[in-house]
Amino acid sequence: MPTGSRKRRRRADLTTLGLVVPRLRLVDVLAESALSVVRHPGRSLVTALGAVLGAAAFVSVLGLSSTLGSQVSDAFDARRATEVVVNADADGPATDAAWQGGPALKRLTRLNGVTAAGARVRVPGQEVRRAAAFTATTVTAPVVGLDPASLGVVGPRLVAGRAFDRFHEDNAVPVVMLPRTVADALGIARTGVAVFIADRAYTVIGVFDDVARQPDTLTAVVMPFATVQPLAEGDVSDQVKRSVLVETSPGAARLVASQAPLALRPEGPDGLQAVAPADPQTLRREVEGEVTRFALLVSGVALVIGAVSIGNAATAGLAVRVSEIGLRRAVGGRPVHIFVQLVGETTVLGGFGGVLGALLGVVTTGAVSLYNGWVPVLDLRVAVLASLGGAAAGLAAGFVPALRATRLQPVNALHR
Amino acid sequence: MTLLDLAGVARTYNDGHPVYALRATTLTIPEGSYVTISGPSGSGKSTLLNVLGLLDAPDEGSYRVRGVEMAGADEALRGAVRGQLFGFVFQAFHLLPGRTARENVEIGMVYGPSRRRERRTRAEEALARMGLGHRLNADPRALSGGERQRVAIARAVAARPRVLFCDEPTGSLDSANTANVLTLLRELNNDGLTVVVVTHEAEVAAEGGLRLRVEDGIVTTHTEEARAHGFT
Repeated sequence: MPTGSRKRRRRADLTTLGLVVPRLRLVDVLAESALSVVRHPGRSLVTALGAVLGAAAFVSVLGLSSTLGSQVSDAFDARRATEVVVNADADGPATDAAWQGGPALKRLTRLNGVTAAGARVRVPGQEVRRAAAFTATTVTAPVVGLDPASLGVVGPRLVAGRAFDRFHEDNAVPVVMLPRTVADALGIARTGVAVFIADRAYTVIGVFDDVARQPDTLTAVVMPFATVQPLAEGDVSDQVKRSVLVETSPGAARLVASQAPLALRPEGPDGLQAVAPADPQTLRREVEGEVTRFALLVSGVALVIGAVSIGNAATAGLAVRVSEIGLRRAVGGRPVHIFVQLVGETTVLGGFGGVLGALLGVVTTGAVSLYNGWVPVLDLRVAVLASLGGAAAGLAAGFVPALRATRLQPVNALHR
Repeated sequence: MTLLDLAGVARTYNDGHPVYALRATTLTIPEGSYVTISGPSGSGKSTLLNVLGLLDAPDEGSYRVRGVEMAGADEALRGAVRGQLFGFVFQAFHLLPGRTARENVEIGMVYGPSRRRERRTRAEEALARMGLGHRLNADPRALSGGERQRVAIARAVAARPRVLFCDEPTGSLDSANTANVLTLLRELNNDGLTVVVVTHEAEVAAEGGLRLRVEDGIVTTHTEEARAHGFT
């Protein structure tokens, strides 16, 4: 019989019997769902547990991975991402220091994205000796000459004394800054003492133990660029290396690197080579992409496990509700009523578990970040998504047990 | 006026070999009757009640409710008849734990036409009539067996059905509560409600104006009244 005529017949029969055409009143059915959830907190909690854990895992994994990602980016941006070194080629202008001079550096600093630029010269292994005659201690260390601008780029962290400045540079004052390793090897515990390099005395004005950039400076004796010139010119080993250190704004390193040789030496840029670190943007994107993919995978798996867990708990819960379903059918409930009520229950529980889990995930991300001194980075949309995901998991998980419940015959359900 | 009309109705269960729970039965139940169905365990008396209450469908024969054929009717029609014309009382009460007495009574009307406020009023009236006006908010787990059965009867009658089907309504009760329930059923019948009771207790069976006995799926009667109503 076609559906239309069956409906007409049913309507006619109901009218004959004086009955009202039964309707699915969603408000009533969902109110029944809500009562079932609220009045059985233990059963509800067990059912929602999967969603709680799934959502908590989802939010905390994504939260912690984005927090960690931002830590990594901060490190990239603050250091390596903002550094360019311009060196002379092997066949380039080794002794022609014009490209390191004031006018050349001025041209370079005019480039967009350059925040500081200064000259450096590195003289290989020199014998460094303490002034006092009775100590024969000597240390062999390279000598690096930095002008105030490149000193700023290198950024030594002082543990004693001070750094040299424009005055020392302009007057080629014989002062040095020692890395802690060299100072310790020479037995120097305070500033003001003198060391001898190539029979010339230099006053130690500062000791440093770390640098922001150019970590090879940690093994070198540092002095003003002007002061080191006689040493550099007197060196016959052909190992003197001249370069320009540039600090750029974040993200500008590669662009600056492509323009720096021309700015420093317009007449022969080919003799200079600018080195920028691997593009941190690309690198970061790759790293973050990997981390995000992994986090999404883990979170997705967590949500699926949550959904399966809700389904299991709902199916197990059904066993003790068989007579309830039988009763509902006896008092006029149709299979669709039972289906909507049970799916409504798992959806509400999934959503509730999702919200609770999302909160738990936010708190976990915050607590772990606080403990490690990180700035927590969490997109709040992730928490909303987790709550919605919980509800969706509940909806999906409710289908199988609800379908099973609709197949129960009232007579069997009531007599079990 | 004929309310329920069975003609050649049979129900067979097939569990490896056929079990004839109800053999071809012809029976008419007029509106306002008090029918009792008795017989030994496994005789088929509950099957007869389930078929009459549309909880189970017969394999053969015709079953008419107020002249409307129910054999082959879809679940929407059967559900509407169960929910609006019939009420049920079971031996095991089937009250939902975690719901108050009033909420349990309201469940009997939730799939019917009445609105929330009306359901609440009717539930309170039904419970008051059962002498439970002071236990509206009690959890069924806190009620005695007699009180639970009275809540179940309130649930069955609150929707104002025309027939009340009771399957061993006093099976779990002591004699005092049994007497109480029988009085309630008698009062309801006096008010015009058709009552159909399945029981194995002679005292309860004796209440019926139409007394049926089921043995091996065959329905017989001991009363003249039954013959007058066309039972053969």
